[in-house]
Formats: sequence, C-alpha cells, structure tokens
Amino acid sequence: MSKFRLYLEENNRSPVKQLWREFKRQHSAMTGLVLFILFFVISVLAPFITPYDPYLQVDDLMLLPPSWNAAGLVQYPFGTDDLGRDLFSRIIKGSSYTFGFALITVAGALLMGLVLGALAGMSKGVKSSIFNHVLDLALTIPSLLLAIIIVAIIGPGLMNTTWAIMLALLPQFVHGIRNAIDEELKQDYVVAYRLDGANNWHVFSRLVLPNIWEKLTIMATMAISTAVLDIAALGFLGFGAQAPLSEWGVMISDSLDLIYLAPSSVAIPGLLIFTVVLSVNLVGDGLKTAILKRRQS
Amino acid sequence: MTRYLLRRLFLMAFVFLALSLLAFSLGHLFPGDILQNVSGLRQIDDSQRQQLISYYQLDQNYLQQYLAFLSRIAQGDWGQSFASQQPLLQEIKLLLPATLELASYALLLSFIAGIPLGIIAAFKPDSIIGKAISAVAVVGYSLPIFWWGLLLIMLFSLALGWLPSAGRIGVLYEIPHSSGFILIDILRADVNYQAEALQNALRHLLLPTIVLATFPTTVMIRFVRDAMLNVWEQNYIKTARAKGLNRAQVLYRHGLRNALLPVIRQIGLQFSTLITLAMLTEVIFSWPGIGRWLIDSIYQRNYPAIQAGLLVISTMVITANMLTEIMHAFFNPLARRG
Repeated sequence: MSKFRLYLEENNRSPVKQLWREFKRQHSAMTGLVLFILFFVISVLAPFITPYDPYLQVDDLMLLPPSWNAAGLVQYPFGTDDLGRDLFSRIIKGSSYTFGFALITVAGALLMGLVLGALAGMSKGVKSSIFNHVLDLALTIPSLLLAIIIVAIIGPGLMNTTWAIMLALLPQFVHGIRNAIDEELKQDYVVAYRLDGANNWHVFSRLVLPNIWEKLTIMATMAISTAVLDIAALGFLGFGAQAPLSEWGVMISDSLDLIYLAPSSVAIPGLLIFTVVLSVNLVGDGLKTAILKRRQS
Repeated sequence: MTRYLLRRLFLMAFVFLALSLLAFSLGHLFPGDILQNVSGLRQIDDSQRQQLISYYQLDQNYLQQYLAFLSRIAQGDWGQSFASQQPLLQEIKLLLPATLELASYALLLSFIAGIPLGIIAAFKPDSIIGKAISAVAVVGYSLPIFWWGLLLIMLFSLALGWLPSAGRIGVLYEIPHSSGFILIDILRADVNYQAEALQNALRHLLLPTIVLATFPTTVMIRFVRDAMLNVWEQNYIKTARAKGLNRAQVLYRHGLRNALLPVIRQIGLQFSTLITLAMLTEVIFSWPGIGRWLIDSIYQRNYPAIQAGLLVISTMVITANMLTEIMHAFFNPLARRG
C-alpha cells in the first residue's frame, strides 16, 4: 500500500541507492552488517593474521586460562587448549572453515538453484511439474539425514558435508526462484516485451533477473545462517571437519571433556557461532524491511 | 476438494516411489559387501551365501531386485542391524515413539508460546514489548542448538542441580513398556509409585523440550508476526474498523483467520527441520530415540540401519507435509487450485 505523502520528494535514485538508504536507517541491521564484514575479512585473511601457528603444540603452556583470568597470559587472549595450542589462533583459523565454507556452500547452491530454478520456471507443463515433484522429495529429507547418508557413502570430511549441505539447501532455492520467476512472468511488461519479439533468454536476462535479485539476496542470507549452523552441527557430531582442523563445532566437541577445567574453551566457539549467525540474520531482516519500504515509497 | 485430494494422493505415490528407489539404491551405494548390506548379517558362510543370494534375488537384474526389495519392505522384513543383530523394524518400533513424543511436545510448546507472542509483537511493533519479542526471536533463531543445550545442562544440571541431564526417566522407576510414549506408559502402568514416576519423567522431559522448542518457537513468532502485520495492512481490516468493530473483534473475526492460515502450512515445512534438530537434541540429552540411534549407526558403519532410518523418517516427514497441505486446502479453498 502506498503511503500518503505531503511533500513530494525527488525519488529517482537507483534502486540500490534507495535500498541502501532504507537499510542504513536500521541500527540493528547496520550492526549486523559491520559484524558480517568483520567476520568476512577475518575468514579471508585467516592464514595471515593468526599470531601463532594454530596447530603448534607448546608443551609448557597447556590449558592456559584466558587473559582476563589472573592466571592467564596477555600473549594468549583466549588461553590454550589441552595440547598447548593457542585458542585465539585456532578460532581465527576456524572462522574460514565455519563461516568461509558456509559462504562457498551457499554460493554453490545459489548458482545451481538459479540454473535449475530458471529451467523449471521458464518451462511449462510436464517438465516443470517433474522438476517440482523431484524437489518435493528432496525437501522432505532432513538435512542431517542427507548428510548422514552422504557420509555413509563417501566418508566423513568437511568437503563431503559441504556437498550434503549444498544438496539440502538446493530445493528451497529452486522452489523460491521458480516461484519468483512465475510471479515475474505474469507482469504486463513481460507480455509487452514478448510482443516486441523477445525470446525466453531475453526475457530472463533483461527482465526477470534484475527484478528477482532482491529476493535472491534474502534467500541467500537466510541460507548462510542455516549453512553455518549445519556445518558447526556436523562438525560437532564428528561427521564434518575432522579433529586437527579448528572448525568451531569441532572445537566445542573437542573441549567437551574439559568443560570443568576450561569452560571458556566451550563457551567461546559457541558464542562466535551464535554471533555469526545473529549478524547474518540481522542483515537478512534489515534487507527484508528495506526492500519492503523501498517498494512502498 | 475431491479432485484436489486425488491429485495429492497421486503425488504422494510418486514421492514414495522415488523414496523407495533412493533407499533401494543405497544398498548398492554403501561400501562393503552388498549381501551384508541388504541382509544385515555379519558372518555369512558359503552355503548360506547361495541361499541368501537367491532370497534377495541378487543374481537377477536391478528391476527384479527392486521388486523383491519392495515386497520385503511391505512384509516387514527390513533386515538386521549390524550392531545388535536384531530385526530393524523391531528396533525402530521401540525407538520411534521416544522421538515422536519429544518432537510433538516441542511443537505443541512452540504453538502455545509462539502464536500469542507473535500476535502481541505484531500488535505493537514499535513499542518496547514488540521490539523485545522480536529481539528475543532473532536471538533464539540464531542459537546453535547443540551449544544451547550444553549451556542449559551446565546451568540447570551441573551448576544448580535442579534437573537431570540425560535419559527419559530415573533408573529407580520400572515402567512396563506398552505404547512407548513414556507419559502414557506411566499413566497406564499399575504401580504404586505412579505420581513420583510421572514427576520424574516430566523433569527429564523439561530441558530437551525447551531446547528443541527454541527454534520452532522463534520461527513461529517471526512468521505469525509478519503474517499479522501483512494482514493488518489489508483493506478489509480497515473496512471492519470503519464499520465500528473494536480491535479485539477485528482481530478475532478477520485478523486471526487470515493470518493463521499460512501458519498451518508452515508446520509441514518446518517438520523436516524439527527432525534434524530432534536428532541433535537426542544426542546431547542421551534421549533414546531414533535420531541418536541413527547417529550411532554412522559411527558403527551400520548401513542397514541408515537405510531403514531414511525410510522411516522420510515417510514421517512426507506424511506430515501432506497432512498439513490437505488441512491448509481444507480451510483455504484458494489453495485447492495450484
């Protein structure tokens, strides 16, 4: 519904600029974005900014408490684990496993989803309905079960579970993209463009794609939070990243038996997973609101 | 409606066909000896081998094997578990009620808490209460469930010692197994410690239910809030207000009916997430359900169990999906077209 406006303001900036203006107004969304960028930078630069080798075992410094504890050392902000490895370095390195791999997973799923969704959305009749029903099946298999099956066939590992999560994310992408394309194809300007002699590819690339990218972004942000949670959960269960890798879920399960001695080694990775997912969700919610407001104005 | 139902049933048959094909092909895809994978027997000697090959029709082509697989599933011969050498169907029958019990209480809790909170948040979106509810929903939505479970165990079981951290009921209470749902079993049991056992079982249930319900509740809050805000903008609400209904009347007669319709559908869509979360919750709270059993199966390379678990869990999710779709169509004639 359009709102009544007393003063007509000039509003012919580009959609991206309008979107940014609406996004900027939301403090929670901006906080989320700052955190998101921070985590992104850390996960990209992880190999270069770790103060120590994350796999280096120092025998004299085992189970050092965090530096805010009286017994801690300032050189080791989060302390060390039971093998004398620096937790701070491990956490930084872990961000590229948990967060970085989540981004890669979602990018892959989005790309595949776009291709399949476009094929399903632009085609009609039997082909489209077969697409839909095969996807219905894929939607019904819980992501963890899918991961278990894939791990059973090709063995555990970060890469293998990445495939599982990609497969688990794919159906919702295809469904969403298909519905968005369907909605777009009903618009009058599509009919007009077709009357001008445009073929399917023209319609898709010039009209559909520019109009559905907002929905794509929202879908992708929501999927990133699912992917981070799934990667961490699978790591925690021992299906995903394997022991020496410092994926955050693995770090939690590693330090579970030390929970009395060093509660911070369970608390910190969990808190970080939570913060990453929270930042992604805040950005997603902010985008949703901004898109809604941009459409209204 | 009849046409709609028929179409849905046809679709369901198609989905089950595809599911059975997937489950069948797993027997061949899993590493190791195919005969061991389908029968679940660990040691097979030569004379037995010939007999089994002809029983499972492994010397025939794939189509024959698939048909034999289907008839075995229908007859209830699901093979044996590698770990316990017991028939799988029997094991699943013992485990499934525990998962269903936990999941249904969590789902129930998510309705009871989620829908009213969502409505309140939508009613006053800019007040402190509305904002607080939305903030809590975002936080709950972002919690990694295994970590959240661990935190609650650390606080309530280890630090405060109020609640037990594992299992379904204390070992002191001997409850005869009848339905598999612990609360029903206790109520049915003819023992003199019934009240104590019930209290004990409820204390065991509390933490896992809260942990499992966290995500669905927050999804419900966000969903109801968005749906309600959307409905509240519609013209028929303004008409209703204009003709003199007060807020409560508008909410009851026009708002809720329209806003809660998509919620029915949401249950079906959330069901597969709920099962994933239930599996994690069961691992953390040592809950003897099918999720923990499946995760143990992968540690033990128990391939027949994984195949059976896929069949059971997917059937459950498909059925739940279908039921909610049909219910949605029943209440909303517009959805019957699609």
